[in-house]
Amino acid sequence: MPSPNSTQSALDLLVLTILGRRGPLHGYAIANSIQELSEEALHIEEGSLYPALHRMEETGWIAAEWTITENKRRARMYQITRAGKKQLASETQRWSDYSNGVARVLRLA
Amino acid sequence: MSLFSRLRHSLHPRRLDEDIAEEARDHMERRKAQWIAEGLEPEEAARRAAVAFGNMTRIQERSREIRLWSAVEGTLQDLRYAVRGMRKSPAFTLTAILSLSLAIGANTAIYSIVEAAILRPLPVPEPGKLFALTSPDVQRAGADTTGERANESFSYPMYQEFRTAAGGSARLGLFTWASVVEVQIPDRSAPIETATRQIVSGDAFEILNVPPAVGRVFSQEDDRTPGGHPVAVISHEYWRRRFHGDAAVVGQRLRLGTGSYVVVGVAREGFTGVEPGKFVDVWLTAAMSGKASLTNAGWSWFRIVGRLAPDATREQIQARLQPVFHTFMEDTVKRNPTMPEGIRKQLREMALRVRPAEQGVSEFRQTFAKPLWIVLAIAAGILLIACANVASLLLARATARSSEMAMRISLGAGRARLVRQLLTENLLLSLVAGAAAWLMARMAAPVLVAMLSSENDPVQFALSMDTRVLLFCAAISTLAAMFFGLLPAWQASGARPMLALRGAQGSAGRLRLGRFFVSVQVAFAFCLVITGAGFLYSLRNLFLVDTGFDSRRVSLIQIADEWPAGESHRRRDFMNQLRTQVAALPGVQGTATAPWGIFENNFWTEQIVLPGKAPSEREELFYRVSPGYFAALRTPLLGGRDFQVGDREDPKTKAAVPTIVNLAFARRYFGAENPVGKTFERPKGSTAIRHEIVGIAGNAKYGDLRSGPEPMIYLPIDGGGSIRLYVRSALDLPSVVSTVEREAKAIAPGVRVRDVTPLETLVGNTILKEKLLAGIGGVFAALGLLLAAIGLFGLLNYSVARRTKEIGIRSALGAGRSSILGLVWKDLFAMLGGGLAAGLAGSIATLTALQTLLFGIRPADPVVLLTATLVFGSAVLLAGTLPALRAAAIDPMIALRHE
Repeated sequence: MPSPNSTQSALDLLVLTILGRRGPLHGYAIANSIQELSEEALHIEEGSLYPALHRMEETGWIAAEWTITENKRRARMYQITRAGKKQLASETQRWSDYSNGVARVLRLA
Repeated sequence: MSLFSRLRHSLHPRRLDEDIAEEARDHMERRKAQWIAEGLEPEEAARRAAVAFGNMTRIQERSREIRLWSAVEGTLQDLRYAVRGMRKSPAFTLTAILSLSLAIGANTAIYSIVEAAILRPLPVPEPGKLFALTSPDVQRAGADTTGERANESFSYPMYQEFRTAAGGSARLGLFTWASVVEVQIPDRSAPIETATRQIVSGDAFEILNVPPAVGRVFSQEDDRTPGGHPVAVISHEYWRRRFHGDAAVVGQRLRLGTGSYVVVGVAREGFTGVEPGKFVDVWLTAAMSGKASLTNAGWSWFRIVGRLAPDATREQIQARLQPVFHTFMEDTVKRNPTMPEGIRKQLREMALRVRPAEQGVSEFRQTFAKPLWIVLAIAAGILLIACANVASLLLARATARSSEMAMRISLGAGRARLVRQLLTENLLLSLVAGAAAWLMARMAAPVLVAMLSSENDPVQFALSMDTRVLLFCAAISTLAAMFFGLLPAWQASGARPMLALRGAQGSAGRLRLGRFFVSVQVAFAFCLVITGAGFLYSLRNLFLVDTGFDSRRVSLIQIADEWPAGESHRRRDFMNQLRTQVAALPGVQGTATAPWGIFENNFWTEQIVLPGKAPSEREELFYRVSPGYFAALRTPLLGGRDFQVGDREDPKTKAAVPTIVNLAFARRYFGAENPVGKTFERPKGSTAIRHEIVGIAGNAKYGDLRSGPEPMIYLPIDGGGSIRLYVRSALDLPSVVSTVEREAKAIAPGVRVRDVTPLETLVGNTILKEKLLAGIGGVFAALGLLLAAIGLFGLLNYSVARRTKEIGIRSALGAGRSSILGLVWKDLFAMLGGGLAAGLAGSIATLTALQTLLFGIRPADPVVLLTATLVFGSAVLLAGTLPALRAAAIDPMIALRHE
């Protein structure tokens, strides 16, 4: 279990959030959404998204399937699973608890 | 991912790799398209896409790891690589598997015998509580005097006293030696078969805790009245083999010897007696073993095996039994007033031993335990050679693969991963070799046991290749894999990519390691060759021993008759007639009769008394023979005369018994004087029998090839006991037998030929141990030599290949063929030096340690050393010639262009 403040955990949360809101996406689209949403704050190599996706797929939070896209190309589409949704809920909760805590410390310090 | 798809992925990792790559490619295509749409040149767009994506290889590796984290997948993939690698270099694979499987096979075969004969506990509950009684062997003239043996036999009266003395702290059971007897089922009208019989006390099965499989086993009730319990228990194995496992066997009648018995039950499956190596077929109770054997304290032919009570120790039993034993020894001394002081002292001071008998009692073990351990040690040496051999082969192969390794390292593969893969390859290699070895051992072990077995003394083991042997095999294989694989694997995986990719051939360190492996092989192989030569020469020396008789073309025929004990004159007359009639037949050069054969492990020793002197210190060896014995065996008569038909020992008259003595006897008791005409006495109870020496014969071995000339006394045959006919004939064995049988039946219809053995076989049976050591030692020496030669050849070949360029330059600069050859030879001798020295030192130490098993061989025997060095030298020269010639044939132009 990754510690709540690791990059990996943050990336997981982002991916789950994106897939939860925008439905099935391929890796490229997810990468673009991450950049867009985090406004480049979460700087990662685009490529390292894929091991994360594969890991989450292994864990069972997301599912993937090869499909033929609009321009007749094969693409791997990812979508969130029920386990993924549960994970998203509890992770969101944890993150907000965590950031609230940090904010309180900063306030009182 | 589902389990199914994971499995699919692990079986098809390439498909998975393509998936990952395609996804990444798709991503970059899209990114590139985006950059192009934003107005960049395609090249620049592709570059930016790649930069943004990051290290493609590393990312793919990570995905792979995630996908295929399971060890199963990794191993499967390693195995696939390994199999592919094996297919690519069949010569290497075959050599490696062959060397390893021969070595592991040898170890497993011998271990399986060691396990069955020495290590395996008896198949009874709580075998650790069993013990056996033994006493030190009395050192007597003529008998085996190596001192390794212990006496295991006790008389029935002694057994009874022991049983009483042991009280509640142990129960004692009685077991005779297993002997091959004639059996007829159900009665004497049936054909004669043979079976192995053992006589036991009534409580023997109860003590061992062996239940019946069918019917019942003996109880104490079956062992009460002498001659009153004609019952038999048969072994499960015999039941299966002879009665096809028919439960109706209970009540079956058997005729054994002269008695008729009823089978009352079958012992539990797997129980074959208390002696590993012997499979008992039929058990009878002690009550049926004849009155004399039950009452005579001098008849020691019972083994005593007991079971300790739960809280008792072997020391307590010893303390309880020793006084009884001592009393018996004192009685023996008192009964024999003329007993030599040396033996008297030995008996009085003799301590009874209570030995653990968890693995049973075994004569075979007494003889063969040490040789077997030695042979196992030799086999271990072979295994080491094979490991070093394969290690050097692997090393050479690693060089060939260094660019592959470098490629994989520069592509991001971890060192641990590479080592794992290389070890998997080795493990696969040794597992294949282990399986082959197991098959080989299965076939070889029974052959080995057969080598140690003889018709009269059959040895048989339940050589189950069971879990223990399998585990042993697996352990050896795995250890071998680790041993020979780790160093080369580490070295190979340490390949520095830049060097290797540029084409620089292997490092000097690798060659050094190779040299080390070759030295190990040379050392062990040289040691094995010397040891093997030692055993072979030792056997040759035994064969060359002047036995004093000529065993070639002499058969020893045992003839069964049915004359009662009181009619020994009829047997004597028959023997005389048969002897002269057979001697007259064409093709027969000589005949003789005796009550038992020489080299049959039968020793009759007595003290002798010279007139006016004290009884002799030693007991001397006696043997009864017919007229013509010395001529038939070609033992020279040096003086006096041979026996005549009228010569006999007649207890009624006081006439001196005509006696022939050998040269050693004459020298010992009469010095330089001619003994013919002299007399001596042989004490018998309170009286004595007088002997007159009528002839003097040359020294001849009687029961043992190793001992020096022993004094011997030949007496005329008296017709007691059984009949052995010696026949010297140029005819083949079957015709001799049929001729003798025909003649015998013509004289007395009731007799028949029971057993025939060439005298050479009988003599050979006394040196089975030496034959085993020479046979296996020789084969293993050859094997070790072959392996070492392969190792040398491989490394030299590799070293020549590595130096192709150097040699090319040398010959371009004008070096002649001979100086190139010299270069390779120098390399060869550099590799040999250390190994040879270590091997020589090791072998001298080995031969010193094995001195008792060698005959006529000194630790640093020049003949042995010279032979071994010559054999080894020629093998090494052979191994070195090919690479040297190859080096000499290098064309400088081609060699220089090669790089």
